[in-house]
This record gives sequence, structure tokens and C-alpha cells, in this order.
Amino acid sequence: MSSPYLRSLLAGLVLCFAAGGPCHAEDVMVFAAASLTNALNDIAEQFSAKTGTHMSASYAASSALAKQIEQGAPAQIFASADLKWMDYLVEKKLVVADSRINLLGNRLVLVAPADSKLDKMEITPKTDIAALAGNGRISTGDPDSVPVGLYFRQAMERSGQWAAIEPKLARADSVRAALAQVERGEAPLGVVYATDAAISRKVKVVGVFPESMHDFIVYPFALVTGKDSAAAKGLLAYLSTNDAKAVWVRYGFKVN
Amino acid sequence: MLDLSVRRRQGNFQLDVTLKAGPGITALFGPSGSGKTSLINMVAGLSRPDHGRIVVDDRVLFESQSGIDVPPEHRHLGYVFQEGRLFPHLSVKGNLTFGWQRMPAHQRSVQFADVVDVLGIGHLLKRHPAGLSGGEKSRVAIGRALLASPRILLMDEPLASLDAGRKAELLPFIVNLASQFAIPILYVSHAMDEVLGLADTLVLMENGRVIADGPVEEVVARPDLKDFSGHRDAGAVLRATVRHHDDDHGVTALGFSGGTLLVSRLDLGCGASVRLRIRSRDVSLALEPPRKLSIRNVLPVTVTSLSPSSNHMIDVKLDCGGTVLWSQITSLAQSHLGLTPGMQAYALLKAVTIAREDIADYRRAGIAPEAVADD
Amino acid sequence: MFSLTPLEIEALRLSLLVSGVAVAGSLPLGILCAWVLARRDFPGKVLVDGLIHLPLVLPPVVVGYFLLVVLGRRGPVGSLLLDWFGITLGFTWKGAAIASAVIAFPLMVRAIRLSLESVDRGLEQAARTLGCGPVRTFFTVTLPLVSPGLLTGTILGFARSLSEFGATITFVSNIPGETRTLPIALYALTQVPGGDAAAMRLCVISVAVAFIALLAAEILARRVQTRLRG
Repeated sequence: MSSPYLRSLLAGLVLCFAAGGPCHAEDVMVFAAASLTNALNDIAEQFSAKTGTHMSASYAASSALAKQIEQGAPAQIFASADLKWMDYLVEKKLVVADSRINLLGNRLVLVAPADSKLDKMEITPKTDIAALAGNGRISTGDPDSVPVGLYFRQAMERSGQWAAIEPKLARADSVRAALAQVERGEAPLGVVYATDAAISRKVKVVGVFPESMHDFIVYPFALVTGKDSAAAKGLLAYLSTNDAKAVWVRYGFKVN
Repeated sequence: MLDLSVRRRQGNFQLDVTLKAGPGITALFGPSGSGKTSLINMVAGLSRPDHGRIVVDDRVLFESQSGIDVPPEHRHLGYVFQEGRLFPHLSVKGNLTFGWQRMPAHQRSVQFADVVDVLGIGHLLKRHPAGLSGGEKSRVAIGRALLASPRILLMDEPLASLDAGRKAELLPFIVNLASQFAIPILYVSHAMDEVLGLADTLVLMENGRVIADGPVEEVVARPDLKDFSGHRDAGAVLRATVRHHDDDHGVTALGFSGGTLLVSRLDLGCGASVRLRIRSRDVSLALEPPRKLSIRNVLPVTVTSLSPSSNHMIDVKLDCGGTVLWSQITSLAQSHLGLTPGMQAYALLKAVTIAREDIADYRRAGIAPEAVADD
Repeated sequence: MFSLTPLEIEALRLSLLVSGVAVAGSLPLGILCAWVLARRDFPGKVLVDGLIHLPLVLPPVVVGYFLLVVLGRRGPVGSLLLDWFGITLGFTWKGAAIASAVIAFPLMVRAIRLSLESVDRGLEQAARTLGCGPVRTFFTVTLPLVSPGLLTGTILGFARSLSEFGATITFVSNIPGETRTLPIALYALTQVPGGDAAAMRLCVISVAVAFIALLAAEILARRVQTRLRG
């Protein structure tokens, strides 16, 4: 190594790697459902402005995140889009049961590309969703695991439409991926959360699913076992404060 | 048959040839790089002259002025390549019928069975080229070109990769082809033995130009070209006819314009023609008819000219009843003999080589083929 | 132990279908491109060469995204397909075949081109003198001589297609029965807690298929070689 400049650069790099991750003190790692992306990012900014603690987030389908936590991923807070995956981790004692809060709610909506010819309608159990899609497919999360897909499946099963709907589905990895497909016009219809439809200009809401058709959409938040640092606890607590609530509401979430 | 006049420049090499070739075998002879292969590639259509005209059987194949350039597949020629170029993925039969199939039956001038017979390749039909010997490959290559019913057969040193034994085996086949299938052959070679063994007409090429063109015996006899085939091989080439056989002594008498020559018993009928080669180093001279000598062939000659050659040797040109013979003697011998042009002398022929064997029932217009007796 | 579940059968069937169609469909174009690159010189040849090899060096997801942009319903080509022929490629096995074909194409072209470049042009000349026009020469002489390269290219292409994931999932996503090939089915299972056992089974199936494909290729290749050598 010739130049001393190069040497110190190398040393700095090594230190960074040794420290593990970005060279910030006190990061809180959050694994959160994809639908929380925009809102949670805003709240995290607020939090870091106030306390200097930054948030690192991984947004994906709750099922995928649960799997990763199960395999030892370094999450400190887990926010799921349904009860199922939180219960799953509670049962495995991978989250701190006492820290759990059922913080948010949401609505399930039917969306179409912004230039679609479909008009807004009232959705009832009798609404023939399959017919609405025509020859195209209905984009939503994988109904075997992704929460939004699971809710939709419930709605269809309860209204006896599941057999007709299932072959017409385009299964996405997460609700945001499903949203993207509708935005691109690849799918004439999609089933996402109301909050997702709200942030996208390229889709419009064609109808809202009555809450009787599916289980209430609940977002439980909890600390991951063994990773519940003071900073993590602090962030979790902050999510229920009035400042945070304002953000949740602004994005269209129901706050419990 | 073939009438061409072409020019082509490639880098520093300039090819400029005007040529007419008639029936029979026309040999293109010259050192490597003289342009022989380039020339037949142009005839075949595989390369393009810059200027000129190529006509085969009154059909214009190429004419730079009018822009005619018939592609190779429409020229109806046969080409036997130096390396054979047999298709490895086809059997021998597949190779042979490759061009033959493309001809509608009524247009074929050659029959499959005949060619297979003449070339003796019937037992090879099922094999693949990889399993053939060098001689067998050459024969199949010849057969393949023949079976395309060509108007002219082009051969580019097809025997170059064979040993002397194989060559000797195949030469008669090729001679036979021209007569049996009545196809003129343009044969490229840089080996004088092949040329003398095959050709009716000889075209000498050097540096992209034709320096001589005519019947073999004439061209070879030309004084300005005697060095062409290499000094060791210099000599005379002449025609002789079988007069009679002496079975008691295993000898055949050949007659030519200068007298009679005795050679080992030839298996030819009386009246058959042979082409003989008499090397100048095999001819000794005497001023008086020698007596009690083992050499049987002694001919009276007249000295035509003397010219010094390399290494204290002298080339003596002799006239033997109208036929040219050459003798090479040392300058020491000359100082003893004191030969002068016009002098009578006797030529002692130590060896007479048969260059080309006859095929008994072949008759070419006006010229009987030559047979060469083994020494 | 080994009877396959419907999900596995479907994934296997789709993988074979998509890869088979991808390779068979792109073979003629592959031969053409290989021939042009091997035998012709023209201005911009380097660019064409680069373009053909692009999918080899780009991340497959990028290729898939590009296909989505161009061939999606609203893309320049996709919208034409939709308006004129009523064809959509998204969410269909045909789209998956296209994604695989694009990814595998450079591998095929490379193998065929290499083989073409080693063909003895003298043999083609010989065919010409025997009355074969250039097109006929290509089919009766060149192509048979190139067959080892063709075989290699096809096998490579097929193998690459079987393992294609990034471009496929980006372009046509995950549709059971349409685009859920073995790799995609496996991926979906790894995203779900409790899917590991099923994922492992798919793993074993994938390895088995790859092995059989390679074995078949080896046997075929040997046969072709012996035939060419006589």
C-alpha cells in the first residue's frame, strides 16, 4: 500500500464493516407490512428529529417478514397487517407478548387503473367480482399467505365466489406489488388496502368491501424477543403518540 | 471447350492469363504461387477476376464488361480439390450422389454404376470419409465431381497428398476418365511426373502468366524451357509406337522417327502409342558406333547445338531423325570429343522411362495416346 | 415416497413447457444471428453483438422489467399486440417463455457462432461446385456440420430457461398454472413460514430435472460426434 490516504480509507471501511451496518449509533430495525411504507417512514423521520434515533425498515408481505424473523433476521419491531402472522410469532415466543399493541385498522378496496371505464359502485356479497374483471386478472397479494390476499379470500369465500375468482388471480408478493400491477394496467382490477389506493394517482377506487365480508383488518405491532433495546421500546411507544396518530390518520389508517 | 482471358490483382500478385483448352487433359504446370489454383478457382466461380471473360462450351460464365458472373452452382463444372473435401457427415455414397442428385435424370451424362466401377470404390459405399485411406479419399473425390455431370473437370493437385505407389495407381484412372466419360480435364500440378503421365496439352505458368502453351512433347522440347522442370529432370519427351514383342527376351520394340528403342516387355498391342521420357543425364555420346556394349539402345544422331550448363556440364541438343534428344556431358568429355554443331555421333540411351501408359481402346482425334515402358 | 403433488406436477409441467417453447422458438433466430455474426461484416456489428449479449450481463430482473415496459399492455409493442391481435403477454406462459428466451438467447448464439466459425468453408465451396446454391448448401452441409454447436446451444439455452427466475417473476409474476415454474414455485414457498418441506421437495425435483437434461445432452452430443467422425 503506497499512499497513507489509501490506508486510512481502507481502515475506515474495515471499521464500518466491523461496526456492522451503517455507521449510525442506535438504529432501530423495523420489519413492517408493505402497506405501512409511506406512513411509517414519515413517522420515523419525526422520531429521529426528536430523539436522534434512526429507523431502518424492511417492508414486505407480513408472511415473508414473519418467516425471516423466524430464521433470525435482526428485526427489533414487527408490524403485521393481520393477526395471523403476529399470533404465529407469539406462539413461537419470537415476539414479546406483553409489548403487543393492535394499533391500526384499514379497509379493503377494489381498485382499477385511473383510466378504467368502471364507475364507482357499492360492493355487496352479491357483486360479481369475476365478471367485473372480464378477461383480465385481479391483482392482489398471494391468497395463501399475504394478508391482503387472505382478507380478500375470506370475502370471496364468504360470498361463495372463491371458486370463480381463484383462477383469475394474479398473485403478488405484497400489496404494493399488487398495486403496481394495477397502476401499469396489466391487471384491470386489484384488491388492496384503502391506504394504498389513497397514495397512488394511477389507480382509482371502484368500491369498498363491507367489513362484514372479512375479518377486521388489524395491524398488531410488537417487540421482537431479545432485541428489545431501549431505543426500540422508545420507537414503539412513539407510534401511539398523538403526533404519530396524526400521520396515521392522514394516510387513511384507522387508529385504535 | 474452355476459352478464357482474365486479369486479377491481389496485393502484389498480378494474374494475367489467356488460354484455350480443348478435349483431353490440359495440365497447368508451374511452381507454387504461380497462380494455377487462382486460375481454376476463377473458372469454377469461387473467385472473381477483375477483368476478363470465361467461356465454357460456348456458354459465357463470366464477362466483366457485361457484368455476367454465373454462380458456381450453375456452371456445371466438376472440381476435385487438393484435400478432397469430402463431406464428413455423409457416407461415401452420400458424397458421391451429392451433385448427382441435383441433376434431373435425363440431364445426367454419367452413370453411377459406371463411375463406381471405373474408380473401384464399390466396396466403400457405406463407409464414412473418416474411415478411408488417402488413395480411397482421392478416388471418391474424383467420383463425386464426375457424377455431377460436369462439362469440364477441374483438378487441383488431387494426388499431392499421396505417396508414389498410390499416385501410380491413380494416374491411369484419371487418364481413363477423360476418354471414358468424354470430359475435358483441367489439371493443376507442380509435379512433372504427373504432368508427363497425364497431360495432352501443357500450359506452363509462372508469376501469374502463361509462358508456354501447347502439346506436351512440344512444350517440353522447347530450349528456353528446358530448365523449367528442374535441372535433374531435363530431357526429351517423345512419342513412340509399339512395333513388336520379343517374348523370348522379355523385350518390346518401340518405333519412332529416329529409329527403334528396346524396352522391357510392355503389355500393349502392336500399334499402341506410348509417351517416352529420356533424361539428358541418361544419354551418353560416342563418335564411333560402339561395339560389345551392354547398352542396347544406340541411335545415330546429329549434334544440333551445345550450351554450357552449371557445374562444368554441357547440354548437347541432338537431332535423331527429326526427334529432339538431349544429352548432358561433362566439359572434360567435351574437350576430348570436340563436338561441334552438325557433327554425326551416336547417342547411348541408358534408361528409357515410360511416362504414360496406353488404354487400349482409346482413340483421340488424330493423336493416339502414349504408353510408357518401365525401365 | 415420490408421488408428486398437483402443485409440483403443475410447476414441473410449466417449467418444461416454458423452457421447451422458449428454446424451440428462439432457435431459428439464434441460428440467423450466429450466422450473421460469424460470416458477415457490417458497420455497427459491434453494437449488434453487444445487444445480443446484453441479457447475459444484465441482472435478470432488469431484463424482466424492460420486457414489462416494452411488452406490457401499455408498452409500445405490447399495446400494438393488444390492439391489433388481442394478444397479452403479461401473466401468461407465453410471456414466461419470452422472458426465458431472451435470457437464454445469448448463450445459444455464442455456442452456435463458435461452431459456425470452425466449419471448413472449403466444404461449402465444394458443395457450391456440385450444384448447390448458397441456401441449399447451408441446409445440407453447414447445418449438419454445425449440429454439435446447435446441440450445445440448445441444451445451454434449455438449462438456463429452466432456472430462469428474475426476469420471469418481474415480467409475468406468479400465476399458478400459467407462470409458476419450478423456480418461482420454490421461491413462493420460501416466503411463507412452514413452506420449507415443500420447498425442499421442489428443490429435489429441480435437481433431478437438470440432471436428466444434462445426461440427455451428453448422450446426444456423443452420438453426433461419432456420426461426424464416421
